[in-house]
Amino acid sequence: MKFYGGCDSGSTYTKCVIMDETGKIRSDVTLRSKIRTVESCQDAINQAVEKVPELNSPADLSYLVGTGYGRNKVPSADENISEISCHAMGVHVVDPTVHAIIDIGGQDVKGIAVDTDGTVLNFAMNDKCSAGTGRFFEAMSRAFEMSLEDFSKLSLSAKNTIPITSQCTVFAESEVISLVGEGKPTDEIAAGIELSVAKRCFVMAKKAGATDRITLTGGCAKNDGLKKAIEQVLNLKVIDLPVDPQLIGAIGAAEFARRKGSAK
Amino acid sequence: MRDLKHLYELEKLLLNVSNDYISAAQQEGKLCIGTVCDNVPEPLLNLPGCFSIRLRAPRTGSMEIGTYYMTNFLCEYTRALLERAIEGGFNFLDALIAPDGCSMLNRCVENMELLKTMKKDHFFNEFMEIPMKADDNGLFLYKLQCTNHILKPLKEHFAIDISDDAMRQAVKEHNRVCDLIQEIGQFRKADNPVITGYEFHILTLATYVMPKRDIIPILEETLEELKTREPDEKSPWKVRVEFVGSEVDDSDIIKAIEECGAYVCADRFCYGSFPGRTRIEMSDDEDPLTAICRKYMYDCQCARMMNKDKILGRRQYVADLAKEYKADGIIYEQMKFCDPWAYERMVGTVVLRQDYGYPVLSVDRPYANGGSGQMRTRVQAFVESIEIKKLAKDR
Repeated sequence: MKFYGGCDSGSTYTKCVIMDETGKIRSDVTLRSKIRTVESCQDAINQAVEKVPELNSPADLSYLVGTGYGRNKVPSADENISEISCHAMGVHVVDPTVHAIIDIGGQDVKGIAVDTDGTVLNFAMNDKCSAGTGRFFEAMSRAFEMSLEDFSKLSLSAKNTIPITSQCTVFAESEVISLVGEGKPTDEIAAGIELSVAKRCFVMAKKAGATDRITLTGGCAKNDGLKKAIEQVLNLKVIDLPVDPQLIGAIGAAEFARRKGSAK
Repeated sequence: MRDLKHLYELEKLLLNVSNDYISAAQQEGKLCIGTVCDNVPEPLLNLPGCFSIRLRAPRTGSMEIGTYYMTNFLCEYTRALLERAIEGGFNFLDALIAPDGCSMLNRCVENMELLKTMKKDHFFNEFMEIPMKADDNGLFLYKLQCTNHILKPLKEHFAIDISDDAMRQAVKEHNRVCDLIQEIGQFRKADNPVITGYEFHILTLATYVMPKRDIIPILEETLEELKTREPDEKSPWKVRVEFVGSEVDDSDIIKAIEECGAYVCADRFCYGSFPGRTRIEMSDDEDPLTAICRKYMYDCQCARMMNKDKILGRRQYVADLAKEYKADGIIYEQMKFCDPWAYERMVGTVVLRQDYGYPVLSVDRPYANGGSGQMRTRVQAFVESIEIKKLAKDR
């Protein structure tokens, strides 16, 4: 049996997936990214390999694809492929009926339209600004002095929404602190934050040409409050994936590795 | 491939606004006339006794002061130029001719003038009006503006010869540069080309920022070198792209695109070879000023030109180049806050995709920092999407 690896080196989390030659996912690992990208990738790959009894070391992988912001620093990778292509392929592997993706990672937001063969039809992404990304949520939950999970739950309990006017992470944090200081209901502020990010996602999805059968990927896809807000602004039900949405990039990379490795 | 003999020297030269060639020409008594836009006819600034340079602000850092005067709603090119002028970076200029190519450039040079950023006693500024429609009225206006804001001031301030013979001489030199660049550019049509898009951009960019007489022998030698240059055994590029859009004087962006596997086989942007380095046709029946203005007005591909023929023609021009240079896709760029190109990019992207069938990557970008990680991700994803479709089609 041959095995193939995909390592998604994200700005916040590093993910690794190992797939066998039939396309079955045999192991996955998600680690907080360290300052040294190579080290984070090596740790993730080693841990993923350890979970597969047939593998002794990363060298036993027949093909390894790196993706994500640190894709060209994945040790021993045979190739690197952009996270945009990998997310499209990853989603296609787990649910071929999906037509579009909103990927919200640690430092960027992307809208990706997916073709019927899992390739990218079109995409749009933010530039250098971190507004509406995982970093933004981290800053907001820090302002609320709570975990990301609790922040999401808090927003879901709101009956109304207090709009957040600033898209900038720094200014939005300042605005939130002011609103909390004024004694405004925290759940409504949290719902306002989710809505402001959802609107940014709306723009990316529309720019990419997404119309229907949209799913969320990336770490922020686990934020139920954001998911609800996105469904509200897009006026449709977001498709739930049968796997951890944070792993999609790594799954896509592993699938590319499987296809390329088999063709070798 | 073996390195081109003059590449390193030109790369180094482009890291600064001024260079040894400019200094040497000025020491000989020649006057350096700056401009900020492709709409100022270059040969008129290269009459005997003077030479032109297009202003850039390489290695731009903070643009705080420029932004204070210009606001952050204007494009970074103009803010970077103003910042560099305030820092004293353009003090070597003897004159600066600014067109109303766009109102941002006008504001930029206006601020340079108001802030008295240029230090030479004989320095002067001129502002030209440029037609927005290419027709006979526009040609009349163009000639009048060139006469009043380039030729007469050069004669009055510096006693420059502005005769027809002087103009013909300048056009001859200009055409030699264009012919060499075009001949070098032809190598890009090969399946496994002997010149990279980055190298070509370095050569082209250098023609805008140094005296023509000095770049001609460099181009001639490079052309001969290319005729015998051996390409890599296997082409390192996965796809071929045409790079289209607004002002680009940062070669790093071309380098970043090529590092992502896309060969930049054709260039259609300000500071590029199309249409900036295409020759001016002269005839004995027409005075040289008319011939020069006709060429600049009718061949101009700037988004500021508003007549319908021009608007439709710009997309056709891009599509024709893509076909001629065998591009698999088009990267349509626009500098952030560049108003004319914001609209052009949006519509051009849709038209080239839908009507001409080209995959198009549409990006806005800062003035500098072309090799940023997010730009690379976009380009790499674009390359992969074309490559995968190409492979599927081949199968």
